[in-house]
Amino acid sequence: MIIAQKKFLIGGLAVAGAVAYLVYAGIKETSVYYLTVSQSSSMVSSDRDFRMEGNVIPGSIKIAPGSLGAEFAITDSVKQVPIKYHGAIPDMFKDDIKVVVQGKYDKNGVFLAHTLLTSCPSKYEASKQGGKI
Amino acid sequence: MIELGEVSLSLSLVVVVYAAFASFLGGARGNGVLVRSGQNALFALLGLYTVASVSLMYALMTRDFSVEYVYNYSSRDLGRFYTVSAFWAGQKGSLLLWAWMLSLFGSIAVLQNRRKNARIMPYAVGFISAALALFSVLMVFASPVFKRLPAIPADGYGLNPMLQNPGMIFHPPTLYVGFVGFTIPFAFAMAALLRRQEGELWILSTRRWTIFSWFFLTLGNLLGANWAYVELGWGGYWAWDPVENASFMPWLVGTAYLHSVMVQERKGMLKVWNVSLVTITFCLTIFGTFITRSGLISSVHSFGETTVGYYFLAFLIATMAFGAWLIYSRREMLRSGEKFDSILSRESSFLFNNLALLGAAFAVLWGTSFPMISEAVRGVKVTVGPPFFNKVMTPIGLALLVLTGICPLIAWRKATFSNLKRNFIAPLMATVLAAAAMIAMGLRDVTAWLFFSASVFVVSTIFLEVVRGVQTRMAGGRENILTGAFNLVNKNKRRYGGYVIHVGAVCMFVGFTGNLWNDQKEIAVKPGESFNIRDYKLTYLGAGYDKPKPTKERFTATVLLEKGGRKLGYLRPEKNLYSNFDMPNSEVSILSTLKEDLYLVFLALDGNEVATFKAHVNPLVKWLWIGGMTMGVGTVIAMLPDKREKKFMESLMDSIVRT
Repeated sequence: MIIAQKKFLIGGLAVAGAVAYLVYAGIKETSVYYLTVSQSSSMVSSDRDFRMEGNVIPGSIKIAPGSLGAEFAITDSVKQVPIKYHGAIPDMFKDDIKVVVQGKYDKNGVFLAHTLLTSCPSKYEASKQGGKI
Repeated sequence: MIELGEVSLSLSLVVVVYAAFASFLGGARGNGVLVRSGQNALFALLGLYTVASVSLMYALMTRDFSVEYVYNYSSRDLGRFYTVSAFWAGQKGSLLLWAWMLSLFGSIAVLQNRRKNARIMPYAVGFISAALALFSVLMVFASPVFKRLPAIPADGYGLNPMLQNPGMIFHPPTLYVGFVGFTIPFAFAMAALLRRQEGELWILSTRRWTIFSWFFLTLGNLLGANWAYVELGWGGYWAWDPVENASFMPWLVGTAYLHSVMVQERKGMLKVWNVSLVTITFCLTIFGTFITRSGLISSVHSFGETTVGYYFLAFLIATMAFGAWLIYSRREMLRSGEKFDSILSRESSFLFNNLALLGAAFAVLWGTSFPMISEAVRGVKVTVGPPFFNKVMTPIGLALLVLTGICPLIAWRKATFSNLKRNFIAPLMATVLAAAAMIAMGLRDVTAWLFFSASVFVVSTIFLEVVRGVQTRMAGGRENILTGAFNLVNKNKRRYGGYVIHVGAVCMFVGFTGNLWNDQKEIAVKPGESFNIRDYKLTYLGAGYDKPKPTKERFTATVLLEKGGRKLGYLRPEKNLYSNFDMPNSEVSILSTLKEDLYLVFLALDGNEVATFKAHVNPLVKWLWIGGMTMGVGTVIAMLPDKREKKFMESLMDSIVRT
């Protein structure tokens, strides 16, 4: 009886330990920094991928016809950064919205992004200008 | 009509307080008149919420744009079908739908149980009313449903085109049924504890509520996944978005609860564990709602308004504190007489299944809240995305899949060598053969090999069990294979319904495994040009333009799809522009087979006729939807009335009367 109880304790702890290890290792290997444009200056010479959020500067978007991707600049209203993005452009991408890009800086301080996410804080609510008459 | 709805909601505030008060007081004093009055108050609430819902629906149908909600979520050119769905397109309507469902479920539970569970019913009604009170408060003060606009606009703003999809009509209410439904077992558990009623009657009485809610939670998640897949156009169905996670966590813990109660029914063990699981499941449904409404975690599902979130947070904290106190104060009553005998036993395999499910829920919770935690602790925001979740969930999922094969067939108390041999030798041999065949057929991915082998194992254990059962019935000579199979299932619906659900789960795991071979390609082409993905050849033939509605412009690309020189058909993905929504919307085109989906998104069309496309090959996705449907069949079987169960329930009721 006592031996069986011990086995359960060991088995339970082993499962808990395994889950804890998976979570720990998973975070260590897959987590990325999520920085503002200003914070990102510390990553200029880093080789690691990170995420950066900022607002698209109006008028900065350049899309070469017939190609995939866009060049634009984002800002956190303190600093601004030029972005070179390669990939499909999301439906919601446009001037003056909040975007999240993932990638890293090149030697000239241009951020090379391979992921572009648009986040619209009120996607399912009617836009606020529309809500007021 | 609108005034009627407003008055109903205001009245509901008074009635809900009375229902809770009368039920708790009547229960504590043993005052039958008060108890019945509390139950009637719950029925009255159902009436009031129904009137409010009808008047909101009436306002939507008659295009009464003086109501802000109607203005925000519908317009004159919106079809009837989607006008109905506008009811729950926004937060206010969702709250009303939620309250209406909870009052309906609560009323049904009262009708079912007021005799059977007379001792604990008053408290159960009290807890249900307390939950309803939250919604009435929200709908009257924080988020008034019938808020009027100062001037009546000529037309409404319209429903977001992304929500104009059949999946989006059914996804939210389905998920709400699951969320709301778990309130019933939770209320019964709390009531039994508060009343100090020992025994398993409350579990058995709410068993159907549990499996019903569990299934709707499953279905709600799947419909959401399906909507994301066909509507959002990023090529996948699950992104580990915080809100997806928020509805996945109660599912995980609810699944654990669904299994571990069987140990309590059979052995009288795990009592604290079970009441804790049902409490956690309920809390997670509230937590999920809180995340969606608070804007605390950024997600594609944000609803904007923030104040409502804090009401949910306060309710959540109160529920957790009360639940923890109640379980702690009743710990003597929950002490189990039995002990675990052997690690090789049904009890034990259930326990490990529970640990794996809770471990998964913990990993999801940790990954979801990690950005907040890291920002608070280290001052830098660190995020984890799909790679984290996939990495952690893959081994846990494999363990669960293997346990799905072991749990139902290993003996209770202590598995003997002959039990193991009888139930597992043949399936293991089948698994080894299948695993070898997979290698011979060229399968080289270890993860996929493990998942497919485990799937074969689970299916063959179930197959063996059913074949044996039918053979036993046929041995009598009076039954043939069909009547034998029918009677086998009919005599123990819960068990065989469970097997069918397990087969559905295996199908879903097969679907998940397909993700290992996903492929995608983005390309810009001129009319007449072709491109290849895997062994498919796609030829862009050109794009058409039309204006199906005054507010909608549509570009449709026509793409010829061929495979190995054989014509498969045409794909017609669309790009739509809406005058009242400032973002375009892609309608994807999918060719789906059991082997794989070819998924094509029309990204853009420029002035020089160059079209950009994104093509995906997603293997085995269809198995996910097949698995979901199989689970539905299993759930129905498990919920049908069962003679054996009725007897068991009667014996439990007798034991309550005697004490």
